[in-house]
Amino acid sequence: MAITHTGRSIQDDNRDGRLFAPCRARCPVHVDVPGYLAAIAEGRFMDALEIILARNPLPSVCGRVCLRPCEDGCRRCLLDEPVAIAALKRAAADIGVYPAPRLARPIPGRIAIVGGGPAGLTAAHDLAALGLSVSIYEDKPRLGGMLRYGIPNYRLPDYALDRDIEYVLAHGIEAHTGVRIGRDVTIEELSAQYDAVLVTVGLQDSRALPIPGADKPRVLKALPFLEACANGESMDLGARVVVIGGGNVAMDVARAARRHHADQVRVVCLESRDTMPAAAHEIHDAEMEGITVHCSWGPREITGEDMVEGLRAVRCERVFDLERRFAPVFDEETVKEFAADTIIFAIGQGADIDELGLPVTPRNSIKVDPVDLKTSVAGVYAAGDIINGPTKIIDAIASGHRAAASIFRDLTGQGDTLESLDQESAVLGKVPDTMAAKVETRRRIQMEQLEHWDALHNFDEVELGYTEFEASREAQRCLSCTTGARLAVEKCASCLTCTRVCPHGAACINMGGYLYFEIEACHACGACVSQCPAQAINLETVSEEDLSRRVQRKLADRGMDTSLVFSCGHVPDTLLEAGPDFRAVQVSCLLRVSERSVFEALEEGASRIVFTRCTEGDCRFPHAQDLVNRRIHHIRKMLSEAQMSEAFLVTAAPDEDSETGVTTP
Amino acid sequence: MIVVRQKPLDEICAMIAGHRRVLLVGCNTCAAVSLAGGETEVDTLLQLLRLTNKRHGTFCELTPAVLQRQCEPEYIDCLQEGDYDAVLSLGCGAGVALLASTVGKPVYPALDTLFIGSAKGLARWQAECSACGQCVLGMTAGICPITRCAKGILNGPCGGVSDGTCELGDRPCAWVEIYERLDSLGCAENFDTILAPKDNTTRQICEWDMSEGCDEK
Ligand SMILES: Cc1cc2nc3c(=O)[nH]c(=O)nc-3n(C[C@H](O)[C@H](O)[C@H](O)COP(=O)(O)OP(=O)(O)OC[C@H]3O[C@@H](n4cnc5c(N)ncnc54)[C@H](O)[C@@H]3O)c2cc1C
Ligand code: SF4
Repeated sequence: MAITHTGRSIQDDNRDGRLFAPCRARCPVHVDVPGYLAAIAEGRFMDALEIILARNPLPSVCGRVCLRPCEDGCRRCLLDEPVAIAALKRAAADIGVYPAPRLARPIPGRIAIVGGGPAGLTAAHDLAALGLSVSIYEDKPRLGGMLRYGIPNYRLPDYALDRDIEYVLAHGIEAHTGVRIGRDVTIEELSAQYDAVLVTVGLQDSRALPIPGADKPRVLKALPFLEACANGESMDLGARVVVIGGGNVAMDVARAARRHHADQVRVVCLESRDTMPAAAHEIHDAEMEGITVHCSWGPREITGEDMVEGLRAVRCERVFDLERRFAPVFDEETVKEFAADTIIFAIGQGADIDELGLPVTPRNSIKVDPVDLKTSVAGVYAAGDIINGPTKIIDAIASGHRAAASIFRDLTGQGDTLESLDQESAVLGKVPDTMAAKVETRRRIQMEQLEHWDALHNFDEVELGYTEFEASREAQRCLSCTTGARLAVEKCASCLTCTRVCPHGAACINMGGYLYFEIEACHACGACVSQCPAQAINLETVSEEDLSRRVQRKLADRGMDTSLVFSCGHVPDTLLEAGPDFRAVQVSCLLRVSERSVFEALEEGASRIVFTRCTEGDCRFPHAQDLVNRRIHHIRKMLSEAQMSEAFLVTAAPDEDSETGVTTP
Repeated sequence: MIVVRQKPLDEICAMIAGHRRVLLVGCNTCAAVSLAGGETEVDTLLQLLRLTNKRHGTFCELTPAVLQRQCEPEYIDCLQEGDYDAVLSLGCGAGVALLASTVGKPVYPALDTLFIGSAKGLARWQAECSACGQCVLGMTAGICPITRCAKGILNGPCGGVSDGTCELGDRPCAWVEIYERLDSLGCAENFDTILAPKDNTTRQICEWDMSEGCDEK
């Protein structure tokens, strides 16, 4: 607006208010989940990837194997199922193109990072992006830590890990592999050469039980076994394998053993079925591959003369005492023999840090200040599993961010560049009943997988990922919590149109007669935004200006007869009505395309605007149908007054299965 | 509120043809509430005019603006210095008139002013008042016969009513509605009162000064 005189300045309320969607609040690094899901819902995979990378430098990894605390908090849980947040992160990493790293001007300061797992990679990424010079020292021949040598390839293949590592290293990080700190180079030597040293060595020691027979050949430990798998070594495990342990690692070991031609793989654990630490989906996947799980058994002896013949176990009646301390109680009378050719312990990991000579806690982790992650040795910090104990990748990433921020603050005195990731923030409450009643039930889209029996012949990735179409569809299930309507009160004309179009009653009138939005009841359909005469409402996720820019980009190299297709779903490669040269812009709902956007696009040089409408069953915002009809009617009327009726077409959405409106060349 | 609606495009184009720099001015009060003169509608009309110009190969620089209320001189002040040679107002008649008397350049209405009305849900309004200057709503259960009766008669209904519908066929008979509402309120006897012809001089008032006469001792 060149001239305005509405009296007051225009400010978006609540934009900076730290009100998080529960998914975002539960993510230890607070990835802007609704932000990237909205981008995917509109087919903007690169934008989605950039949003993720702003918080998480390992999207390809986390998209596959993150233990996804976000999904447990998803507000859709109470309606049907959580949105497939992790799988969509994978889609962004697989389909999007990694951007060139954004690097700050180099500043003096050299950092050594010991260990190239997720904690070390994250800290290296952050510090290098801030302009510091960073070197990683890694014992193993390749970077990745447990991501490469622990998690088996059928869940996280090397190519998927390497995408992330390449992106991180592109920040100008030096990696020295095959160097074991403590043995080849000491911490003191590193400290002398670098301004700060960050230790992220993880937990490399694989535990076993000191039971009789545990020293026999073919009694293995989880981590060396998984490392051998990762290195592609072939192993003869015999036909029958028993895995001892009830966590996720035990499931990985068991599934890996199946892939080494063990016909009968049994998992034996102390815990009962409902107290097993392994995630339910991990157990399910293992069982689908023919693995059996035997709960509440305590190993007593590995039997056999020279070779392993089996495992003798007794009934475990209880694992924890009333104070949740580990204090198993056994019934020695109830004994079971599990015949086996190989036995693998998967009962936990511990630290292997004697060589480092750093102060440790009674639980043998490196002792640090929990806030700034400094050890008591000046200039030496620690992060990741080595301070947290065995946790998850995303915790290691969070820890890496925290250590990087702390190091940067100590070296430069600047603390605010890397914002603290755990600042207090309010979390949006549950979906109000009135809204729940009106949101369409839509089940999660299942990802294509290798058939379980086919998967057993090799270490090929089992989950095949979403197609672009599936990803957009799944992302459209997101309720866009907290990213909906924002009202600029001073622009509001109090016409009450928003209160009339909102199906969930999110636009409310307060006692003074002013409008406000009930954020909990808004799922960012945009109905109010597009109807507001005063342009007083904006959606936090996607603004009108963003849409204008996308249209301009699409039309930048247009031809003589280019159609611009607006669609709220996936647009196929050919669309009869739109002619041979068309550019498609996917929006969350056609409601987002205002009269103005249509005219603007025509002025930009599009020769025709096409709206492809979703089918009723697919519609994400059924209440918007009537408003879209009105909009279409209005555009038609205006263009016919301008004698340009032929410049606007409305078609039905091309069905995924049928050929309606679609030609195949 | 005053209800307005946009004029047909060719009428608007004809008015501004010949001007090279036109300022489009919206009004964030009644015209915005009528979904015809807010920032959104100013932008939309502007885009459509640009498109039309491009199509006809004509040139005209169009600039958008929105005032809080076009019928207040203080809000208009900021338009004085603009670099334009005509104004297209997206306000009601009062806005157009005040702009025209202030800016010293031709001012054209992009909207037609329809009536004083009330909202009937999304983007629908009911005519309620014709500003006759002598309100009779107290006798007619709040339904204005001047506005809603096609003939504007003070003592109805006329003979044209059939089944409660006006002989024009486009509306319910206001007088039938008045009777029914009075009856439901238990005031049907109002109907027996013949209303005297109105003093039409009130329609002629062309200025109202509240302080009129206060300097008389
Ligand atoms: C089998 C298995 C499966 C898992 N699955 C999942 C999962 O699905 N989802 C999930 O979220 N988490 C999972 N985890 C947990 C997750 O892998 C860890 O929490 C995470 O890798 C810890 O990261 P880190 O960087 O602290 O340590 P690590 O990943 O262990 O990396 C430490 C690195 O330091 C190197 N190093 C050690 N000592 C030295 C030294 N002296 N000098 C130089 N380098 C050294 C190591 O070689 C290693 O590369 C799994 C763990 C295991 C073991
Ligand atoms: S619906 Fe979307 S924004 Fe809301 S919690 Fe679930 S993933 Fe997050």
